[in-house]
Amino acid sequence: MRTRLLGIDDLLRAQPRVVVGHTSSPRQIILLMIVFGFLYGAVMGSFGGVTGERFWQVVYSAVKVPMLLSLTFAISLPSFFVINTILGLRDDFAKSLRALVATQAALTVVLASFAPFTALWYASSADYQAALLFNTLIFGSASVTAQLLLLRLYRPLIASNPRHRVMVRLWLVIYAFVGIQMGWVLRPFIGSPNAATTFFRQEAWGNAYVEVAHIIMRVFGW
Amino acid sequence: MIRWFKQLDGILRGDATRLSALKDGRIETPIGGLSVVTVFLGAVYGVCIGAYAVIRTGGADHDAYMQMLASALKLPLLFFLTLAVTLPSLYVFNALVGSRLSVLSVVRLLVAMLGVMLAVLASFGPIVVFFSVSTESYPFMKLLNVLVAALAGFLGLAFLLRTLHRLVLAQIVLDTQPPSSPTSAEGGEDIVDDGSTDDPAGALDQLGYGTTGKARSVFRVWVIVFSLVGAQMSWVLRPFIGKPGMEFTWFRERESNFFVDVLDSIAKLFGG
Repeated sequence: MRTRLLGIDDLLRAQPRVVVGHTSSPRQIILLMIVFGFLYGAVMGSFGGVTGERFWQVVYSAVKVPMLLSLTFAISLPSFFVINTILGLRDDFAKSLRALVATQAALTVVLASFAPFTALWYASSADYQAALLFNTLIFGSASVTAQLLLLRLYRPLIASNPRHRVMVRLWLVIYAFVGIQMGWVLRPFIGSPNAATTFFRQEAWGNAYVEVAHIIMRVFGW
Repeated sequence: MIRWFKQLDGILRGDATRLSALKDGRIETPIGGLSVVTVFLGAVYGVCIGAYAVIRTGGADHDAYMQMLASALKLPLLFFLTLAVTLPSLYVFNALVGSRLSVLSVVRLLVAMLGVMLAVLASFGPIVVFFSVSTESYPFMKLLNVLVAALAGFLGLAFLLRTLHRLVLAQIVLDTQPPSSPTSAEGGEDIVDDGSTDDPAGALDQLGYGTTGKARSVFRVWVIVFSLVGAQMSWVLRPFIGKPGMEFTWFRERESNFFVDVLDSIAKLFGG
């Protein structure tokens, strides 16, 4: 347990051994991701209460946060792998992969560390829209933090071959593109008090970018 | 089959196009197995595109499965037909400017290029399927596919130009060296590196100094022609995605063109 927690410390400090060494095995890091993702998800889903049927929203959200991250990761990985190979970075791919997985875990750790704020917010306001906005903010800041960490983990790789900088940027583009849509599809995470508790929201199926395009259109009055 | 994938992997990694592999100014990438793998990857991506039609109709519609099958067949066809349309003129101009690249080398090079393109395309398959599952909007799917194909095409053509540059380079090295180079090269200062370990460049790395050859200008022009022909070929071979509400056909009527439709799709995406 203690070594596991030290693994988190290494991770957050972006110690080189996270990428190169063997102190934290991928399995351990994935375990971290699941545990902490579960933790934040549970808190996130507690908006409508934790008793009765609402308990299930807590469970669903807890399952869905690690799901969101791992599905996004899995879908984005093939193209990242092939383009890495073409750019001649295949020999470093194991290191890149470790940096990416570590970033996923770090994202959940950061999220979990924000969980008390979310709980306090829920305790002080029953406004669903505000809760939605607050969670967006939390996810946004956790993502930015994780990406900064990724850039730090990538620094030795970029030093060895500047082309890694292109790849890490490309990863961010692909990951964000898929991740935003994944978050949209996997709704609800918070659980509107007026809606029934469900794992997926049927009517929520749709494309986030198309919605955004429509909003832009409406704003400009086209 | 696995051996063929390894050959493709060698091309993607740049092993097949290292200077040491291009020693005689010839490219030795395989054609047969590689073409099979390329067609297979194209079919995989075709299935990914066709997933949109199947999911939109709830998987109950026979036409949707036909669309998926048609896309799987037509997608490799799109790339090979584009090549077939542009290859004759490439060969003629390549020979006219006196390039030493033989017909066989040109074909090998182009098959390797298709391998790169379709590998990139297939690697975006999961993303396309994911958006197919969750998207109603037909214009969005069209634009997403155009974007992915453009990226794959760009990387493939970049691979082609860089490899060509290396071929020219390898030939220059060959010309400046006496045939009995291994013994005459002093102190092992062989310009053509025998060990591929000292040659860690990837498939897209630019090697050495710039050389201007007429053959390169021919290829540069050809790259543009290939892109335009490919784009229009995709229009001729449509439908790939299958517009919701339209009956399945293998091909559509002759009308409009690719570029007009892309602009139209952008307008529709914003216009609802």
